[in-house]
Amino acid sequence: MPKVTFLPDNITVEVAQGENLLRAAMAAEVHISATCGGRGVCGKCRVIVEDSEGWREGGLPSRANSKVEHDGNPQRQDPELGLISNSYGNLTEEEIQKGYRLACLCTVEGDVTVRIPVEARRGEREVLERLKEAAAYGVMLTEEDVASLVKGVTVDPAVKKVYLEVAKPDLANNADDLTRLRQAAKAAGYKELEVDFLTLTNLSEVLREQDFKVTATFLKDHHNLHLVRVEPGDTTKSNLGVAFDIGTTTLFVQLLDLNTGEALSSASDYNPQISFGEDVITRIIYSLKGDGLKKLQETATKAFMKLATEALEKAKRKSEEISLVSAAGNTTMAHLFLGVSPKNIRQEPYIPVVTHWPHIRPQEIGISNLASGSQVFMVPGRASYVGGDITAGVLASGMYNSDKLTLYIDVGTNGEIVLGNKEWLMTCACSAGPAFEGGSIKHGMRATIGAIEQVRINWEDHEPMILTIGNKPPAGLCGSGLIDSLAELFLAKVIDPRGKFHKNLETKRVREGKSGWEYVLAEKEMAATDYDITITEVDIDNLMRAKAAVYAGITTLLDNVGVGVDQVEEFFIAGGFGHYLELDKAIIIGMFPQIEGSKVKFLGNGSLMGARLAAISAEMADITHQIANKMTYLELSVDPAFMERYTAALFLPHTEVSRFPMVEKLMLQS
Amino acid sequence: MPVETVKETYTGKVREVVLGSGEGEVKVGGQTTMPFYTFEGDMPNKPKIAMEVYDETEEWSDWAKEPFADVIDDPPSWAKKCQDTYKTDMVTLQLRSTDPNGSNTSADDAAETTKKVLDAIDIPLIVMGSGNIEKDQEVLKKVAEVAHGKNIAIGPAQEDNYKAIAAAAMAYNHKVIAQSPVDINIAKQLNILITQLGVSADNIIMDPTTGALGYGLEYTYTIMERLRLAALQQNDDMTNMPIICDLGLETWKTKEAKVGVDEEPTWGDPKTRAITWEAVTANSLMMAGADILVMRHPEAIKLVRNIIDSLS
Repeated sequence: MPKVTFLPDNITVEVAQGENLLRAAMAAEVHISATCGGRGVCGKCRVIVEDSEGWREGGLPSRANSKVEHDGNPQRQDPELGLISNSYGNLTEEEIQKGYRLACLCTVEGDVTVRIPVEARRGEREVLERLKEAAAYGVMLTEEDVASLVKGVTVDPAVKKVYLEVAKPDLANNADDLTRLRQAAKAAGYKELEVDFLTLTNLSEVLREQDFKVTATFLKDHHNLHLVRVEPGDTTKSNLGVAFDIGTTTLFVQLLDLNTGEALSSASDYNPQISFGEDVITRIIYSLKGDGLKKLQETATKAFMKLATEALEKAKRKSEEISLVSAAGNTTMAHLFLGVSPKNIRQEPYIPVVTHWPHIRPQEIGISNLASGSQVFMVPGRASYVGGDITAGVLASGMYNSDKLTLYIDVGTNGEIVLGNKEWLMTCACSAGPAFEGGSIKHGMRATIGAIEQVRINWEDHEPMILTIGNKPPAGLCGSGLIDSLAELFLAKVIDPRGKFHKNLETKRVREGKSGWEYVLAEKEMAATDYDITITEVDIDNLMRAKAAVYAGITTLLDNVGVGVDQVEEFFIAGGFGHYLELDKAIIIGMFPQIEGSKVKFLGNGSLMGARLAAISAEMADITHQIANKMTYLELSVDPAFMERYTAALFLPHTEVSRFPMVEKLMLQS
Repeated sequence: MPVETVKETYTGKVREVVLGSGEGEVKVGGQTTMPFYTFEGDMPNKPKIAMEVYDETEEWSDWAKEPFADVIDDPPSWAKKCQDTYKTDMVTLQLRSTDPNGSNTSADDAAETTKKVLDAIDIPLIVMGSGNIEKDQEVLKKVAEVAHGKNIAIGPAQEDNYKAIAAAAMAYNHKVIAQSPVDINIAKQLNILITQLGVSADNIIMDPTTGALGYGLEYTYTIMERLRLAALQQNDDMTNMPIICDLGLETWKTKEAKVGVDEEPTWGDPKTRAITWEAVTANSLMMAGADILVMRHPEAIKLVRNIIDSLS
């Protein structure tokens, strides 16, 4: 991997070939001012190329691609240099020839040394001591990693398509159509079928359409085998499933090939039910009024169809090919998706109608254009506030089958936490609010193109360095950008440990806006928006409450079991963060206890992954029932210690800073 | 077989804070044990009484006013009487009249009163604002200014106005009273925030907010006890400040201290009842760890003094 050295700090970092130079600086914890998200507009991230692989033979290219010579050697093309400038932005010809480049517009191709000029640097800052390589980011799991987490999972979905050649009837073999179909199925290993009546109404035509060659769809349901569909010809190749994560704030859909287990495409969006209330409680209340329940259900099923259609279009497939939907959501979201009243989830003793759902026909919940005979499988939940999304996450993490003491944390609108191993599982839920998904944040957004995902703030002049997803003009802040902002504002002493702005700083970035005090991350001239992108004191309050709830939940669960953080051998962190959730930033704000990075794995959307596994494997779907039954539920609302732990955590990083030695050290430096 | 007394040993120590100036200096805190557990550690300074002086006494019952009838409209004389006649350790000037929801007297008036009270006494002075977030910042800044050199304590500095009040205390070398709403975490957080402003931890006195007997006293009691245990057992240097309990005001506004025989004929003599109420409240808080007791009635104070003397 190419090495990039930043002068004058003389910090070297190895990056993947093709990495953006500004991102390389971020990875090296080297501050270069940058406010436009990395599209060459603000012109602040100037660096001077001091040395570059290929330099000796090559020399530096110029805008005019011209006559500049170095060491008397002829000009060479960009790609042969260690650093490629894709554009020079607003640099002058003279600057370019002097070796100035805009970091955000450069990609690293080989070893390179750059100097950060004084004006872009401003303010010394000691290198943040990372928790070690893996520690900084935790380990972001790849598809293969996830597959290997669940040992021995083979593609064997509950809904299967089988090509059958049914015997043609004649006067000698005059058995009825179904009997002959049964015989063909039996020969293929599918015995003792329960037959759905609806398959019979047009069976005679279906059998005869392609000369008694048909494809039968079987549903394996615990011990029974159902015949749910018969199609003419061989359609075994078109057996699609959909994994559906029903989040309170965000919905995710993944289109699956049930024959291979492969994910074909995906789509996501905010849950449109948000307009009826941001959290589960307000939605439950809405569902009790008039036709509220019906409205909420229709909104959910429509949103599902919209996302499924989007995913189908991306993969160029049809909705009639979908024979299985595997959905995971918290208990309230599951009730609302299926149109079952969640009324008693809200009131003590918090009782849902059902946690282990029967198989459901999509038509029964108003979804009509999937394959006939298709099924909806709901991943079972444990309790009113620990739903199928958590069961799915526990499945995806493999912790239910692990010897190691594992802590699973799902940071969503509700923070759910599971502790245990293959012997036992204990779980609790705390209300974090939608802040980490960009909800209830003035300029919050989901982790999509243009979202600010990484932030550094200079300790001296309080200028920001921001990176956006896709290096596009900033449009708002996603969860990881918010966590970064909170940590950086705190370390740069722009806010106090309660999250209140210091109002006497010499910077224009802290100001009193229409919604109170705020910090300007990107001026509108630099942004994709026609307003400045800021983080307000109210946003910070919401983030503080969210992180305090997560931390209090984790510590309450650990204390109840009598286990210290150090005894936990593996941590899985799930949630809809961007690609760059930095573990140490989450520790700096006191959201997670100080844990070793090498023990941490970021699972991404655990709920979706689990739903996918349950879709492609009937065995995995069965295991979800076992997991849900195995989890012991701890009700935090009746635990008086939880509230107190929450108040203690409403401070940066925590009222007891000694629990965070790393942060204590950083605070002394800053 | 001889019985061995079980003893706790502590590693921590409550900070010793000095109030007042010159001959009139008084020390509070400094103990290495729970209240009066002198067999387990040292208690160099007994709890101190800081008698109340008001700049306004509307709605006071006759038996509350009685001892101060001759001085009740003149805070400096009142303060002097507390010092000379009742031998109080310190005086607490309660600036009730500055409350914008009440008489709303000016910060300058408050400063003037403070100055006169300071001139009348030699013992340390504590000045408490009305508790109004906005107004206290203005009032206590002026108070701090006129009291420069006298090493007084000003408060209450709360979560939402601690910056201005702590800055005023720091600028004129006074002590700051950090008030938290009966919450151990906020008490500690406020101490951290105030020290981060540059105020030395040795210049902070904690006010955990006091409930009177029957009005949440047990909550305050628990918080105080836990603060003290954190200081002594865990050596926590952000909870080891001396504790002040502003209990006179709380006690005397209870129904039990206010109503007469006409309203509650079965409750006995109202004066005895009110005095007992204050004394029991003060005694309980002292057992929980109070270093400064802000009290009103001389008879109640006498009762509490007897307990302090007999225990130490």
